[in-house]
Amino acid sequence: MSGSKPDILWSPHHVDRYVICDSELSLYRIESVGTTLLAINSDTPYMKCVAWYPKPEPECLLAVGQANGRVVLTSLGQSHNSKCKDLMGKEFVPKHARQCNTLAWNPVESNWLAAGLDKHRADFSVLIWDISSKFTLETSVTAEKIRLSAGDTDSNLVVTKPLYELGQNDACLSLCWLPRDQKLLLAGMHRNLAIFDLRNTSQKMFVNTKAIQGVTVDPHFHDRVASFFEGQVAIWDLRKFEKPVLTLTEQPKPLTKVAWCPTRTGLLATLTRDSNVIRLYDMQHTPTPIGDETEPTIIERSVQPCENYLASFAWHPSSQNRMVVVTPNRSMVDFTVFERISFAWSSTTSLMWACGRHLYECTEEAGVSSTEKDISTKMRDRALSRYGHDTEQVWKNHLLAGGDDSQLKSLWYTLHYILYMYVLQKPLGNKHPIVYSGIKNIVKSGSGSTENARCWNGSELKADVIRYHNEERCLALQLCGWIKKGPEIHVEPFLQCLEQEGEWERAAAIALFNLDIRRSIEILHKGATSEKGDLNLSVVAMALSGYTDEKNSLWREMCSTLRLQLKNPYLSVMFAFLTSERGSYDAVLYEGRVAVRDRVAFACMFLSDSQLPRYIDKLTIEMKDAGNLEGILLTGLTKDGVDLMESYVDRTGDVQTASFCMLKGSTGEVVKDPRVQCWIENYRNLLDAWRFWHKRAEFDIHRSKLDPSSKPLAQVFVSCNFCGKSISYSCSAMPHQGRGFSQYGVTGSPTKSKVTSCPGCRKPLPRCALCLMNMGTPISSCPGTAKSDEKVDLSKDKKLAEFNNWFTWCHNCRHGGHAGHMLSWFRDHTECPVSACNCKCMQLDTTGSLTPSDTAQ
Amino acid sequence: MELHILEHSLKVASIAKEGIQLFTHGLIKLAFLRSRTGCKFFSLTETPEDYTIIVDEEGFRELPESEFLSVAEATWLALNVVSGGGSNSGSQPIGVTKIAKSVIAPLADHNISVFMLSTYQTDFILVRERDLPLVMHTLAAEFTLLRVINGETVAANSLAVTNGFVKPKLVQRPIIHPLSSPSNMFCVTSLDPETLPSVATLLMDVMFYSGGMKESAVAEDSGHIRFFSFSLIEGYISLVMDVQTQQRFPNNVLFTSASGELWKMVRIGGQPLGFDECGIVAQISEPLAAADIPAYYISTFKFDHALVPEENIQSVISALQTSSDQRK
Repeated sequence: MSGSKPDILWSPHHVDRYVICDSELSLYRIESVGTTLLAINSDTPYMKCVAWYPKPEPECLLAVGQANGRVVLTSLGQSHNSKCKDLMGKEFVPKHARQCNTLAWNPVESNWLAAGLDKHRADFSVLIWDISSKFTLETSVTAEKIRLSAGDTDSNLVVTKPLYELGQNDACLSLCWLPRDQKLLLAGMHRNLAIFDLRNTSQKMFVNTKAIQGVTVDPHFHDRVASFFEGQVAIWDLRKFEKPVLTLTEQPKPLTKVAWCPTRTGLLATLTRDSNVIRLYDMQHTPTPIGDETEPTIIERSVQPCENYLASFAWHPSSQNRMVVVTPNRSMVDFTVFERISFAWSSTTSLMWACGRHLYECTEEAGVSSTEKDISTKMRDRALSRYGHDTEQVWKNHLLAGGDDSQLKSLWYTLHYILYMYVLQKPLGNKHPIVYSGIKNIVKSGSGSTENARCWNGSELKADVIRYHNEERCLALQLCGWIKKGPEIHVEPFLQCLEQEGEWERAAAIALFNLDIRRSIEILHKGATSEKGDLNLSVVAMALSGYTDEKNSLWREMCSTLRLQLKNPYLSVMFAFLTSERGSYDAVLYEGRVAVRDRVAFACMFLSDSQLPRYIDKLTIEMKDAGNLEGILLTGLTKDGVDLMESYVDRTGDVQTASFCMLKGSTGEVVKDPRVQCWIENYRNLLDAWRFWHKRAEFDIHRSKLDPSSKPLAQVFVSCNFCGKSISYSCSAMPHQGRGFSQYGVTGSPTKSKVTSCPGCRKPLPRCALCLMNMGTPISSCPGTAKSDEKVDLSKDKKLAEFNNWFTWCHNCRHGGHAGHMLSWFRDHTECPVSACNCKCMQLDTTGSLTPSDTAQ
Repeated sequence: MELHILEHSLKVASIAKEGIQLFTHGLIKLAFLRSRTGCKFFSLTETPEDYTIIVDEEGFRELPESEFLSVAEATWLALNVVSGGGSNSGSQPIGVTKIAKSVIAPLADHNISVFMLSTYQTDFILVRERDLPLVMHTLAAEFTLLRVINGETVAANSLAVTNGFVKPKLVQRPIIHPLSSPSNMFCVTSLDPETLPSVATLLMDVMFYSGGMKESAVAEDSGHIRFFSFSLIEGYISLVMDVQTQQRFPNNVLFTSASGELWKMVRIGGQPLGFDECGIVAQISEPLAAADIPAYYISTFKFDHALVPEENIQSVISALQTSSDQRK
């Protein structure tokens, strides 16, 4: 310290003050901007170490250890305070002069000041001075011998008799008082660490080590001590003092200071010579060592407060993670060590992060409409509304999903039509129903189609179009939803349906594609006059009625150009259809805004056998690339469909829709696809993570209905205490395989409840700890044993849940009983019902404290 | 009690006074520029006859070869006694007195030649490296033997064969060499290594120049003796100088003990003592120990020097006279 290297000391009681000491002592006050120099004290030359008096009064009393071993009390920035006036300038002089290496005030007995000195022959190196002691003349013989050096004229201020002398024939390099007891002093001696107990000074506890410099106690964990030697820091546990509990990675340069953060547990800062970084070791997550060889994990970081080399640093005593560093040329930097941030996503779209003592949460705002909700929120809402579970009217699932997603709507309609067709075709005995394989495969399987030129319905005008027809195209139209059944192309029911939904333009277009221009005009007119009708539709109807098959007419010319200005795609494709050349309908087929099912239906009507598969293939690839669920119409629930769904899931993350959709396919092969299994498992995990355990169970039931192969076998068995065989052993012969619970009284039916002994060895099953009845006895049959209030409770629940009859037990103490009894017991108790067992069974069960989030229904 | 066998391999040398200017460069480096030499053990003692240098091998390289330099042929090891704990309180006997019975006498009984160097901080007992097995054998009973290897203190195994060592004959050790006591008084002191640069020129002056031939001749006539010792061992500085020299230092630089003791010297030997004779230290230290008089002991190339408290000089003289009378 003397010489060039300044050190910093924070005032223990004034959080804004600190002292910089090098050749002199300077008191600074830290302010919102910068620091102010309050006072300078240069009375004490040859400073080796400084320690600040730990009590608030007298404030700013400092002990200075000098190169010749003397300890001087001094102060800074004080008005002549009477309290400490008689202490100022007091000197404590060791018998033999040698360097004073370290000073430590006793935090409790604040009159005690321990000084660590260099070695001098057989003299003591740890002296504990009592600063309140008056100078006492020793026996006359020694008084004669005292030849104090010049300047010590005021000998009233010189104390030569220490309170305690310790560490004979040794050197002391560092000291600290142990908070465990005010009379314990930890000292870094020459080649050993020693704990002196002032209650019995003849004994010391010590351990040989080189790491004897800078001993310091963790303020948050009083048995943890750090010390260092050259570049290495050793962490000690005083309860296990034989060797360091850990040593930190060695630094290339010798350490100069090591300090525990006073505001945060387990954070140790270290500084080496000629370095501009402070290394931080975070032992935050260090558990108190249980096993011998558990090496705790340490997170190592470094902070660089400034460009220059650092001379010293000091933690702020109360402001969190704040420290001041000083460079050799005395420039100071006040900064805060930033906390590591750890963050976690919750399963319900909120994000949490912790920084220091603060916990931040970021949640999706409820009322946000401008941005789309996150898919996980959507899935959660949909799970709550039983999305996917409507197996009767499959198309309704899109309404359960919110009804605002056109792709989902298309998907569920497709699935609805597929299942509808499947039911229709089933009696025909088709083993591999082609309806599942998608229009792409259906049209390919088709034989040649018949062509027929058709006339406009209800109009004398000759239509210049050829319509193709065969059985497969008809099936495709059915899947598209245009026609219901049978070979006849009869779209009228569908048109009426669209009219009801107010989809005037689409209805008009479909009517037109069915060559019924009069119906189309009629629909448009209806649309224009309906409640929320668009008057423009009448204008379109007027334009439509002017249709002429004249090739070079003005109507054709104007319509083919002006149609592009129509906003509605259906209106636009109507005119495109009317003005197109025979056989080339690209303007209709590639109008992306028109629903895929309508375009496909259109193609099935008007494209030739060579054009149709090409168009469908092209569209399929497009849909697959985009992950557009409308494409399921084309791919069906095939491998292709899984590919498409994969790109949809990649795009949206919606494993829920994917799971439900693929389960509907249930053609074995598709469901066994690892991707599908992955989606299903992920969806189940998601439900678990949301604590939608009932939903999960519902989903599993739904799944096992649609995919019988997924029915899980029992994997957990209860074994008999005596023979070790599963007590559901005998059920292998029973028809209800995998429902072992029924064997020991789940159903509560009187016949089965008799199974109160092991089917293997006939020894009795364990008893319920509360009603003392054997396992397998339903609780309803054990009156009297339970407490009266419980009885009321249980009888009320009796009808609600057979679960009450189940047998449950703690995995820790192995005590248990009827689930109902246990539940009511632990409603009022925390400990095991078995007397003399103090196992806190319920608290050990981590899910015991969780409640499902989906119990609302 | 622990006996530490230090790792320094030491050389003991003598530089003739007239040749000192050849060696000043190396000696200044050894004394003041510790980081430049890698030397961890250095001691320079000036007597009227010569300069005695004790230095480890690293430091020895700094000294040029010269006809003025004579080196004792053996390599020496330093032993250091560390007393275990603070069980004994009160005033402690200092220096050789404390270790007279436990170390010096047994070694003398086994005819092991020792070379003593007392410093402000401790006492070093130098023994020849080749004598080490016998030393360990001799002292194993009394001490926990620890050996310092690469800075680590490890237990020294005295695996050495115990056969073949002659059982010592316990004999009386009368003082056989003539003694003299110069009139000047000495102090044993130290200073903070960091303040060394500030007094370096003064120290150089004291070491190499102030002891001019003429002046010292005058001094010796009046019973004064030229004696100055400087040592820098493992970072600790120790100085032995007479009061006149001490007064040339500024206040507060030298460590002065609270009691400020001063010491008188007893010089041992009329003829150069050589290195082979055993028991000289024991002859002096045993009577002093018996009288419980603290003493420092500094061996040099030619003679030995004991420092005793000035107030005790009369009792020392009488004690030693009794001892030397036994010879007759």
